[in-house]
Amino acid sequence: MAVIRDVMPAFELVQPTSAAEAQKILEQNGSDALILAGGMDSFDWLKDRIKRPKIVVDLSGIDELKGVRTVADGIEIGAMTTLTEIVNNETIKQKYGLLAQAAELVASPQIRNQGTIGGNVSQDARCWYYRAGWPCYRAGGNICYADDPDGRNREHAILLADRCVAVNPSDSAPALIALDAKVVMRTPKGERVVDAEDYFIGPEIDITRLHILQPGDLLTAIRIPATWANTKFYFEKIRDRNVWDFPLLNIASAMVVSGGTIERIRIAVNAVAARPLRLKAVEDAVRGKAPNAETGVMAGKLAVRWAVPLQFNGYKIPLMRNLVKRAIGGVEEAVWAA
Amino acid sequence: MSSKAAGSNNSIEPQYGKGQKLIGKNYVTADLHAKVTGQAKYAEDFRAEGMLFCKLLLSPLPHARVRHIDTSAALAMPGVKAILTADDLPAPADSVTDNGAVVKASKWGERGLTMEPVYQGEPVLAVAAVDELTAADAIEKIQIDFEPLPFVIDPLETLRPGGPNPRTDGNVWVTPQTPPGPPEVKELKWTEADFSEYKDGRLPMGKTPNEWSHGDLDAGFKNAALVLDETFVTPDTSHETLETRSAMAYWQNGKVYVHSGTQSTWQTLPVLARWLNMDPSKVVFISEYTGGGFGSKVTGGVSMIIPALLSKKANAPVMMRISREEETFIGRARPGFRGRMKVGFSREGRIIALDMFVVSDNGPYDAQGDVPTSGRIASLLYQPQAMRWRGVTVLTNTPPRSAQSSPGGLQAIVIIEPIIAKAARKLGLDQVAIRRINCPEGKAPFGPPVQDKLQYATSAFLKEALDRGAEQFKWKERVARTPKRIGSKVRGVGVSLSCYVGGTIGFDGLLVIGPDGRIRFQSGIGNLGTESMIDVHRVAAEILGVPWERCDVVWGDTSKNFPYTCVSGGSQTTHAMTRAAHAVAMETKKRLQEIAARSLGGNPEDYDVGNERVFRKGGGQGLTLAQAAQKAIEFGGIYDGHEAAKDINKVTQAAVAALAGQGLVAAARDNYGRDGSTFSYVASFAEVEVDVETGKYNIVDFLAYADVGTVIHPRALGGQVLGRSILGIGHAIGQKWVFDPHYGEMVSKRFYQNKPPTILDLPVDMQWGALDIPDPETPVGARGIGEPPVGGGCASILNALSDALGDEIFQRAPVNLDTILTSLEAGRPMQHPLTAHI
Amino acid sequence: MTGEKSPTAVSRRTFIKGVIAGGAAVASANYLFRASTLLGQTPVAAVSERLIAITVNGQQRRVDVMKQETLAWTLRYKLGLTGTKLGCDRAECGSCTVLVDDVPHYSCSMLTHTVRNKKILTVEGLAAADGTLHPVQQGIIDEQGFQCAFCMSGFIMSAVGFLKANPNPTRAELAHGVSGNLCRCQDYDKILTSLMRGAENMRRGTSV
Repeated sequence: MAVIRDVMPAFELVQPTSAAEAQKILEQNGSDALILAGGMDSFDWLKDRIKRPKIVVDLSGIDELKGVRTVADGIEIGAMTTLTEIVNNETIKQKYGLLAQAAELVASPQIRNQGTIGGNVSQDARCWYYRAGWPCYRAGGNICYADDPDGRNREHAILLADRCVAVNPSDSAPALIALDAKVVMRTPKGERVVDAEDYFIGPEIDITRLHILQPGDLLTAIRIPATWANTKFYFEKIRDRNVWDFPLLNIASAMVVSGGTIERIRIAVNAVAARPLRLKAVEDAVRGKAPNAETGVMAGKLAVRWAVPLQFNGYKIPLMRNLVKRAIGGVEEAVWAA
Repeated sequence: MSSKAAGSNNSIEPQYGKGQKLIGKNYVTADLHAKVTGQAKYAEDFRAEGMLFCKLLLSPLPHARVRHIDTSAALAMPGVKAILTADDLPAPADSVTDNGAVVKASKWGERGLTMEPVYQGEPVLAVAAVDELTAADAIEKIQIDFEPLPFVIDPLETLRPGGPNPRTDGNVWVTPQTPPGPPEVKELKWTEADFSEYKDGRLPMGKTPNEWSHGDLDAGFKNAALVLDETFVTPDTSHETLETRSAMAYWQNGKVYVHSGTQSTWQTLPVLARWLNMDPSKVVFISEYTGGGFGSKVTGGVSMIIPALLSKKANAPVMMRISREEETFIGRARPGFRGRMKVGFSREGRIIALDMFVVSDNGPYDAQGDVPTSGRIASLLYQPQAMRWRGVTVLTNTPPRSAQSSPGGLQAIVIIEPIIAKAARKLGLDQVAIRRINCPEGKAPFGPPVQDKLQYATSAFLKEALDRGAEQFKWKERVARTPKRIGSKVRGVGVSLSCYVGGTIGFDGLLVIGPDGRIRFQSGIGNLGTESMIDVHRVAAEILGVPWERCDVVWGDTSKNFPYTCVSGGSQTTHAMTRAAHAVAMETKKRLQEIAARSLGGNPEDYDVGNERVFRKGGGQGLTLAQAAQKAIEFGGIYDGHEAAKDINKVTQAAVAALAGQGLVAAARDNYGRDGSTFSYVASFAEVEVDVETGKYNIVDFLAYADVGTVIHPRALGGQVLGRSILGIGHAIGQKWVFDPHYGEMVSKRFYQNKPPTILDLPVDMQWGALDIPDPETPVGARGIGEPPVGGGCASILNALSDALGDEIFQRAPVNLDTILTSLEAGRPMQHPLTAHI
Repeated sequence: MTGEKSPTAVSRRTFIKGVIAGGAAVASANYLFRASTLLGQTPVAAVSERLIAITVNGQQRRVDVMKQETLAWTLRYKLGLTGTKLGCDRAECGSCTVLVDDVPHYSCSMLTHTVRNKKILTVEGLAAADGTLHPVQQGIIDEQGFQCAFCMSGFIMSAVGFLKANPNPTRAELAHGVSGNLCRCQDYDKILTSLMRGAENMRRGTSV
C-alpha cells in the first residue's frame, strides 16, 4: 500500500453534549474511537492517515467540561478549558500563576485559543520518527530508531529511557505536578482521581502511551489544591524558536521560604523522559537550606546524577542542571546600560 | 537617510528622490488592495467547472527503481479519472538560446515524475479523481514495488574511496572547459589520505574538477602576520515559500492554460513549453500573485506539468494542491557547503592571501551555480591580494536544490566572516576597521581572471555604507560599553560585509499610450511582492512627466503581450528593467516629438514632453497624450505598433504586433552601455544577548545599511533589505535539515522541526538604511537588492555570538543553544562540523 | 489608489469560474466530495448531520459538510472564500487564521461541524459594505505592509482579533499578538509597522 499524507480519511463524527454521554460513547467504541478536544495533536495523526479511528468524539459541545470553578480546597479546571482561558483567568493568575506562566508559553496564540488543558496534558510524544509513522516500539514495533548509532536524537530523553527514548512535550504538566494537582477522570468504573504525577507513565508501564487514560476513559477536570497557592513559583521553558516549538526542557517549581530557608518545595521537569519528572530527591535535599545559588548548584548536580545522554542530546544535562539551579537559587536580571 | 529611527513605531518619510516626483517616493502599489481584501488570486484560488483533484505518489526511498506498479484497483474506484506516470511524460525537449544555439536536453534532468526516484519524496505518479479524498484513497490502493538502490545523503561520504554513488553513473557535476559544454555527471573519489583530518573536524581537500587562482599565494602566506585555516559548514535550508507550488491546468482549443506561482511570469512560458515539449504559442501561463519564491520558483517548478498532462488525459481541469510535506520534498533548497579557508592577514588586517575550498551538497539534480559563485563573491567582497579557489558540486540523494537568495554568496560570506572576526581579535583590530581595510571600492576587481585579467565591478560604495551603518548602529559605543556580562547574560556585537550580483542588461520595455491619454505598461515581471513588477515602470512615468494616477500596469498572464523580460532571480530586475523602462521612455518621447512635429509643424527637437503633453519648447501649441495617441493610430507604422524597432527581441516584436493600433505603441531595447559587472552591497550589524546557562540567545538589535544605487521605492526597498537579512539570519539561528543517515530519510519535515524564524525570534524594531548613490553604469542608477543582504544577515549574528562567547564554540551554522551549551561546558567546539544533517 | 488595473483573468474567460463570494447556498457542488464517503455505522444520538448552516461574514450559509472537513476547506472550496489561505494545513503558519466568535483560530485545524453555532469572520468580511476598508487593512495600505501577502489575511485576522481585546498595544505586545503567524518573506518589521498603523487607525475610529 502506497503511503499518502495530508488528506484526512473519512470517519464518523459524534458531538455529545454531556460528559456522561461522551464517556458512554467512548466506552462503547473502545479503541475505534478517538477523542477530539482542541484537536491540535489529533489532527496531525488524522491528516497523516496514521490513526484511522472509526469514530471521532468531539468534546467541544460539552459545556460542563469548560471553565474554572472555585471549589472548597482550591480550584477545578474543566478539561476543555482552553489554555488562553487559563492564562487570562484572574484566580489562576493571582494564586496559581505557575500554571498561567506555563500555559502562556505553549505553541502560539491561536493554538492556545483552541488547545485545552486536558489535551495539553494528554498529548502524545513528538519524537520525529514516531510521528512520521515509523514502526517503532511506541507504534507497536520492536525497534527504536532514535536510540540507534545513526539515530537523530537531539530532542530525546536523558532519563528513565526504556527501549523508547521519546519525551513528554507538555508545558503544563510540570506546573501541575509542582502545584500538586489532581487529574479527574470518568471511567467505565466511575470517577477516578489521581495525583498529576501519577497520570503520566513511562515505557516501563506502557510503551504506547504517555498517560494512564485507557480507551473508554474521559479526562474531565484538573483540580488544584490551595496548598501551594501564592507560593514562590519558578517556570522556565527552553525551546529553539520563541513560537510554536515544544520544550527542549522545561521546569516548574513551587516553594515556601520561611526564616530564610526552604520550608517546602515541589519541583518538576519535562522533556527529559517519557513522563514529566518530579524531582523528589532534590526537594528532600534542599528542604531547610537557603534558597541561594549554592543550594541551587548542589540541587542541579543532584538532579542530573543519573542522566545518560544519547549522541546528540548531551546538552540537556547541563541545561537541566542549570534550570534546577535557577529554580532554587533564582536568576539575576540583566539590566544593561543604554 | 534611514527610513525609520530606532525605537519608533512609525516610518518616517525618507529623503530619497530629490527633485523627482516618482523615483525615490513611496506610493501604494496597484496589487495591494486586492491583497488586503482577500481578492488576490494565487494558483490554488482558481476554480474551473468539472475540476478534478490530483494527488501524488511519492518515493518512500532515497534511491530506488520502480520494479512494478499495479494501478488496477485504484483505477477501478468510482471517481478516479486518470493516472499519470513517467511513461506519459513527453520526451525532454532541447532548448534554443537567443542566438539560436541548440542546447541538448540533459539526460540527468528532472522530469516531474520518474521510475528511478533519486530522493525520498520524489513524485512517481499522480492520480486525478473527483475529489482529494478519492485520489488519496486511490493512491493507497496502488501496489508498487521498489528495488532499493545505493544512496548517499552526506556529500563527503560519496567522495570516500568506495563510497556509494547517488546516481547510477556518478556523484559529481563536472563542467567541461575545453571545449566548453553543459555539466556532466562523473564519478570522483578522494583517497584515504585526503580524509586524514576528517576526524579532527577539518574538511578533507581532495582533487576538484574546478580551480582558479590569481596572484602569488605562497608569497602571501609567507609574508602574512597571521594565517588562519578554518573549516565551516553552512546549512541546507528549504525555501519554504508560504504558498506551495500548487498548480491548476486545463485545455481549451488546443491550448493549455496553466496557473501556478512563479518569480518570472514571461520567462516561465518558454520553460514550461519546453517541459511540455510544446510550441510556446500553445501554452498560456497565468500567475497574478505568487506566495514567495526566494529562488525556488525562478521559472516555476517542473511539477506544474503534472496537472497539465493529467488534464489532457482526463479531459477535465485538474487542480494539484501541493501539501506542505510535499513542498518540503519537491520545493527546493539551498545547497549546504562544507568550506575550508586558509587566510593570510597583514598586521593591519589586510587579506593578502586567501585559499578557498568548498564542497557543495547539490542534491540529485541540476548543477547549481553556488560553487563557482562562491569564489567570485569572496574575491570581490574581501579583495584578497592573492587567491586560489577550488570547489566541487557533489550529488546526493536529498531533495533537489535550486538557487536560494544569494546562492553561493551566503555560503562564501558565512565561511569567511568568522575567520575575519577571529583574525581581528588575534590582531587586536576593531571589527569594522578590519572590514574597512578589505572592503571593495569603485571599480573593484574580482576573480576568476578572464584571459589573465581580473574582472571588475561597475561601482562599490560599501565603505560609505559601512561608515554610515557603524555610526547609525553606534558601533563604537556598543563596543566600549561595559560590563559585557551581567549574571548569566553576555552580550556581543557583530558586523559583516555582504554583497551579491545586482543586475543584467539588454531587455526590452513596452508601453501603450491609449486614446484616453493613459499609459499602460506591459509587465512580464513576476509578482512576488517585491514590487519591482510595478516599481520599475515609474521610471518611465517620471521621464515622461505623467502622474502615476494616469498609469496602468498589466501583468500576470502570458497571453497579454509582454516584452522580453529578465527572470526575477539574481537580483537583476530593478537594474535590468529600470534600464528597459528608461529606454522605452526615451523612445516614447522621441515618437511623441515626431508626432507633434508632423502634426503641428517644425522639427521634433522643437518639442518637449511633460505634464501629459508634448508641446513646443518655450510655450506654444502642443498635443495632449490622448491627442498624440490618436495621431499615432492615424500615422500607423512605427507609431502604433504596425512596425517595430529592429533591435528588440522577437518576443517583444510579437507583443508589439498584437498591440498594434491601440494607440502609441512604443518598444525599445536597453542598449545602454555598462563598464563592469553589477553588484550591490550591504553592511550588516547585530547585537546578541546569550544566556550562558541555557545557551539560548536573543538578537537585541540589527541594522543593514545598503549600497544599492538609486532608491526607487523606499518602503519596498526596506522590506527587501530587512526581509532578506532575516532570510540570512534564519541560517544562523535555526533553519536546518535533519536526516536519518541509515535510512536516508528526512525527519525534519515540519516547520517545528526545520525552524523558519518567527516574529518573536527577531528584534521588535529593526533598522535599515540606504546610501542612494547612483551606480554610474546604468542610466537610472538603480541596482538590485533581493540577495545582497542575505550573507551579512547570517554572518553578523555569527560574529556577534563569537564576540560574546569566544572563537571556540561553533564551526557550523545554525548555532543553536545545544551547540553553545555543550561547547561552553567542554571549553572547545563539541559539535563535529562535518557530520551531515544533525 | 492609483488607476492601475488588477489582472482580470477571471472575467476574460467564462470557462474559468470566478469564485462566488456572496452566493446563498453551496457554490460549484460539482467539484465537491462525492456522497459515498460515509461509513456504514449505526448512528448514535449525537451523530451530526452533513447539511448544516454556518454563519460566515454575517451571512448564514447552508452547506454540505463532510465529517472530517476542516473550516478552511469549507471556506475555500465550498463557500468560495479563498482569501483564507492554506500554507501548511498543520497549525504552524497561521495563513488560515479566521475569527470564530471574535477569537483567532487556525481554520485548517478545526472541523466545520464544531463551529455550527458560531460566528465566522474571514478577511472578505472585514471591509464595510460600501468598500471602506477596515482600519487594519488601511494601515497596510498606508505602510505598504507585507510582500507576497500569502500570509497577509491570516495576519490581518490575528491582528483584528488581538486589537479587539488590546486596542492600545506596544509594538512588542502586538508582535506577541500576531506571533502565531509566519511570514516567509520575513517582512516582519514592515508588517508590525503597518499593523501598528492599523491599531492607530482603529483608535481614531477611522480607516482613512
